[in-house]
Parts: sequence; structure tokens; C-alpha cells
Amino acid sequence: MFLMTNVRTNAEWLHDLSASGKLQETAIADLRDLLLRAALYFFNRNLDDFGGLNRDEILQRAEDCAQDALIAVMNHLQDFRGDSKFTTWAYKFAINIALMAARRERWKGVSLDEFSFSNEGAFFEWMLQDKSDGIAPDQSALQNEVRETVQDVIENDLTDKQRRVLLMMVFNDVPMDEVVRHFGANRNAIYKLLHDARRKLKSGLQARGFDVGETLALFSSQG
Amino acid sequence: MNRERFDVWLRNIYKTQEEEISCTECFDLVSHFVELEISGENAVAKMPLLKQHLDQCGACREEYQMLLALARFENEGGAPTLDELKDSIR
Repeated sequence: MFLMTNVRTNAEWLHDLSASGKLQETAIADLRDLLLRAALYFFNRNLDDFGGLNRDEILQRAEDCAQDALIAVMNHLQDFRGDSKFTTWAYKFAINIALMAARRERWKGVSLDEFSFSNEGAFFEWMLQDKSDGIAPDQSALQNEVRETVQDVIENDLTDKQRRVLLMMVFNDVPMDEVVRHFGANRNAIYKLLHDARRKLKSGLQARGFDVGETLALFSSQG
Repeated sequence: MNRERFDVWLRNIYKTQEEEISCTECFDLVSHFVELEISGENAVAKMPLLKQHLDQCGACREEYQMLLALARFENEGGAPTLDELKDSIR
């Protein structure tokens, strides 16, 4: 079955999907199978996300993803530039939707607020960590300076939203799409907040004389 | 955050560029990037901005890794069938 669908060229995919009647029906059914395969492929490698679901429910989630991906692919057919195999281009829609579904399942019911304040969660623990275990005192002092600089920029130079997004994603491993959902934003906006936060951290470190090589050597030199 | 992760994150801070491409641009370009990689071309040299985004963005990176694995499997004729994938869900 799969081998049959795989023999279409890019031009044939576009032609058949844009055709009418039986030709289009068959192409859409084949495409849907491919997208379901991509969603299942992702789910298989992320089964931990579906702890609370049984097999039938997981398979149904995959079917839903395939259906959503099919609609997305059909809506974006005119964007396909032919710079990859058509199937590779189509798979990315299914994988994107599958990733969001998997993370939603894992994080549903979790309130994200507690991860976004500097006096709670992993950032607070990080600030309190013993930073000097088993390394030379002068190196330890320099490391502490870097960490204090990072902490200072996070607490004083970032906007409230930049800080909250950074604490959620970098310190508490909240997935991108859950943060997007929490703020009613999109990936681009969240990425931009993190990007701006990184720029401030970078210039904050450089302004205090921590150049790149020296600082990285300070932290990566230990096992 | 342990030392190892802090080290990775610090590296990413220093690799920050003034201009970086967005997740939408990444999504648009990533299938071409994967295609170049599969055909043995130097994708990183040809699309450095995309690589930069993938290094910084965990969500886009995860999707890229999955897409590359799937496309590579398929290219080599070893991709699992639909039935095999269904059976391997518990």
C-alpha cells in the first residue's frame, strides 16, 4: 500500500491533489495515510506524553492529527516550491501538529503560572544551588560572578514578559506551544521574546567583561 | 538547571545574533534543509540562518529531527508501515 503511494512524483502529487473526481479522491486518501504515518511515527517516539491514554485513544489522536494536517497541506499546496520531495514537505505539517498534540496531552491540567516567577520553581532553586562543589576557589568565584550577572539581568533588565517566558521555557522546560497557548500568542512572538532576552543577557555579560571564550571555558572545563 | 545545561544555554546566549529568522520562516525552509542533508549536500553552509534558528529553538529543532529521521528512513526504503506503527503503540 505504502509503496504504491510513494511512486508519485512531485508534479503528480500536485496534479492529482488538484484534480477532481476519483483521481483526487485517491490522492487525498494516499496523502492522509502518509500524514497518519508521520503522526504515528512522532507519537511512537513520544509515548511518555500520553501516559494517561489507552491505545485506542492514542490512535484516535493520531487520526485527528492526520486529518488536521491534511487540511493544512491542502490549504498550502500553492506554497510548495518543489525544493524537497513533496512527501517531506507534507510530513512537516503532520509532525508539527503531532508535537503540539503530544505536549498538550502531557501538560493538560498543569497551571503554568507557578513556573513564571523568579521566587518559585527551578529558577529559585538554581539561585540557591551550591555553586562551588569541588572546583578551585578562584574559578568558583568567577563562575559565581557569571551566574550573578545572569541573575541580575534576568531580574532587572528583562521586561516582565521576557522574564516569565524565559523562566518557563529555559528553567522549567515548559514546551513552546504550551507557552504560546498560555499567553494566547504564536511561536514567532514567543521566540522573539526569548531572542530579545538572549540579546540582553549577551550584552549584559559582555558589558561586565565576560567575553565568550573565557566564560564558556569557565563552565565547560569540568566534568 | 544543572551545570551541563547552563553551559549549553550560555553558549546559546553568546551565539545570539542581532537578526534571527522566525519559527514561521524556519517551518517554511526546513523541508529544503532536510532534502539537502539527505542528498549529502552541506545544508548548514547553504542555510546558516536556518541552522542558527534550529540551535536556538527547541520546538523547531524537535520537529526538524523527526522530519529528518522520517525522510531519511523513507529515502533508504526502511520506513515502518502504517500497520507496524499502529502495532507498536502499546
